[in-house]
Amino acid sequence: MAITFPTHDLNGAKPPFGRGVVKGGAEGRPSLRSTLTGWAFCAPATLLILGLSVFPAGWAFFLSLQKNDLITPATNVGFANYKVLAQDPDMFAAAWHTLFYALMYVPTSVIGGLLLAIALNRPIKFQWFYRTCIFVPFVASAAATGILANFVFDEKFGAANNVLRLMGLPQQGFLTDKHQAMMVIVIISLWGSIGFCVLTYLAALQDVSQDILDAARVDGANKWQTFRYVTLPELGPVTVFTAVWQLIAAIQLFDLVFTTTKGQPLNSTVTLVFYLYRMAFMEFKAGYASAIAYAIFAITMILTLFMVWYGKKSKVEAF
Amino acid sequence: MKNLSITRRVAIAASVAALGLTACGGQGASGPATKVVTIDDIKAGTKIDITFWHGQTADAAKILGGLAREYERAHPGVTIHDSAGASTTDELLTKLQAGFASDTFPDVSYAYGSWVAKLGSSGRTLDIKPLIDADPKAWEEFPEAARATATVGSKIVGMPAVNGNLAVVYNRKLLKAAGLSDPSPEWSWEDFRAYAAAINNPAKKISGTAYSVAGNEDTTWHLWPQLWQNGGDVLNADGTKPLFNSEAGVKALDYWRTLAREDKSVYLDQNGEKYQGLFNAGSVGMVITGPWVLYDLKQLKLDYGVQVLPGTDGDHQTVGGFDMWTMFDHKDTNKAAIAYDFTKWLTAPAQDVRWNVANGNLPLRSSAVDTPEFQQYVADYPGADIFMANMANAVKPRPTIPGYQAMSLEVGKAISQALLGAKDSKSALDAAAKNSLVELVQ
Repeated sequence: MAITFPTHDLNGAKPPFGRGVVKGGAEGRPSLRSTLTGWAFCAPATLLILGLSVFPAGWAFFLSLQKNDLITPATNVGFANYKVLAQDPDMFAAAWHTLFYALMYVPTSVIGGLLLAIALNRPIKFQWFYRTCIFVPFVASAAATGILANFVFDEKFGAANNVLRLMGLPQQGFLTDKHQAMMVIVIISLWGSIGFCVLTYLAALQDVSQDILDAARVDGANKWQTFRYVTLPELGPVTVFTAVWQLIAAIQLFDLVFTTTKGQPLNSTVTLVFYLYRMAFMEFKAGYASAIAYAIFAITMILTLFMVWYGKKSKVEAF
Repeated sequence: MKNLSITRRVAIAASVAALGLTACGGQGASGPATKVVTIDDIKAGTKIDITFWHGQTADAAKILGGLAREYERAHPGVTIHDSAGASTTDELLTKLQAGFASDTFPDVSYAYGSWVAKLGSSGRTLDIKPLIDADPKAWEEFPEAARATATVGSKIVGMPAVNGNLAVVYNRKLLKAAGLSDPSPEWSWEDFRAYAAAINNPAKKISGTAYSVAGNEDTTWHLWPQLWQNGGDVLNADGTKPLFNSEAGVKALDYWRTLAREDKSVYLDQNGEKYQGLFNAGSVGMVITGPWVLYDLKQLKLDYGVQVLPGTDGDHQTVGGFDMWTMFDHKDTNKAAIAYDFTKWLTAPAQDVRWNVANGNLPLRSSAVDTPEFQQYVADYPGADIFMANMANAVKPRPTIPGYQAMSLEVGKAISQALLGAKDSKSALDAAAKNSLVELVQ
């Protein structure tokens, strides 16, 4: 499909993308006054974004080129931090733990959220009560969730092992077992954040047009067919959005690790952001930590772009 | 969400760093003031402002604020801007990092002993050695290990703020239930092991003792007393080579490994934040900890006792924890003189009993033992006298070199690996020594 841009539209408004602007014609530009007014509206937000996001991000990049503990004078080391990063086994271990977490957490939260939303979208008794129950953990801070879970899953004194004992099942190590700790963190995260997926899907389900559903029924579709061929495609954009959102949250996992295992047992729950924290604030390697931050940024960017591209390709406009 | 706040904190620290480094061209200030100006050289009434970050909240902050006002009244013209400096004491270091970058650091700040070496190499600290040399009496009364902690190379950068050491705190009720009497000051590590095994009761979910496997300094410093008692050392004399993986170190770690893996009488605390709470709740029989827990134990009305660390061949040495009032150099001799004089006044015996002792901490000097305030303190907090006497057992200081923090994390990791059964003690400590060698020579 050929795309054409008008060179000069009839009302004299600026053409999109600025391409094809014809020289001259003062009537083609907005007046200085309206430009200033526009910027005046944008200024507070622009300053906030520049000051709190763009500038620190740029500065972090300079920091990543230094050996800097933020205490003693810094030395420039060029790209040495990135070179170390590329062969740091602890960093790869952290990346692997994060990937494992994301693979467990993202699909479970999205599919689980969808199923719960469908269940809660039906006219059942005490619907409001169930909805509240699912959403309350999401409102609780992750730090509080972590501290609470820490006691529930304590190997010796926790409620989880008590329940297992009452059911006659063997006792588990949970957060103290290096093979189980990450799974337990996935479970705690799901408990804390599935409310978000449920809420998004509930809103999307209520957006599915009754007309189409009626039309499907008139055409003879059964309940499953209606869901599979009408409802599910309608939920496509929300699914892509939720998946991207949960994926970003998974890559940024920090708070639960910090409040439950602190990366233990035997560093089996050290995630990328926790590793960054350890480097910056426990080992005083702010330069190296900034390099890790940029690596995390790159990974997040690539994955997000891929998912947006995939969404576009399969004609699901999520963003 | 916490991860956002951390990101934001990194961002803010970075942006503050940016502003500051632009202002001072990326270089820290360095070198001490040339001429020693003491408070006697300052004309009375001269307006001098100093900033004081005490890192305390609630009652402790109130006491220190009151003392600052009292100092101001005695020294017209002097204003002390006192504040906690950060929301928690742990956060003070981050605040200092940001402060260095933006040139808005305080004149006096509370600091953990383990930070001092790092701060000392910042080029921002005030070298108070010339001031101390002019009148060394008060300084020399501080415990030797505390003085060593404040010394970085040839400089002295702070004065002790809070002293502590490790001893055994035990739950008397659990000891009695296991048919044990209170341990004697002569007890050995074999006695400790027998006590832990006797108290341990899996059916009732009671652990004999506890050890943090969080892998941080709390994990690490609990090993040092036994390393020293076994005749070992953490580092060589010039701090360039780790020695903790010696036979003495392996023996110390093997001791705990046996308790954890064979006797199973140790509660291995995953993140290091639970064992004290479990002790307070009566689920752990004995913990190795410091006088800072006494306040809570008193509130809980727990029937507890305190005893010095078990010994090796009669050697009961322990490790001291010393927090510091660190002073910073603003290239202003008047400010430096007041910062020093105020800190000296604050740590003098008369003020020490009103701040440390009143707040449940140990007094800074052994001479305070004879004061009525100390007698009241011991009556209020049983066992405080044992902690106080145990200061004499804190013979060796923890190393005060900039690479200690990173080395401590390596040792912490090795201890966790050994206690959780992932590695044997020797290979875990050897790996830690190899990894920390890189940190030490840098």
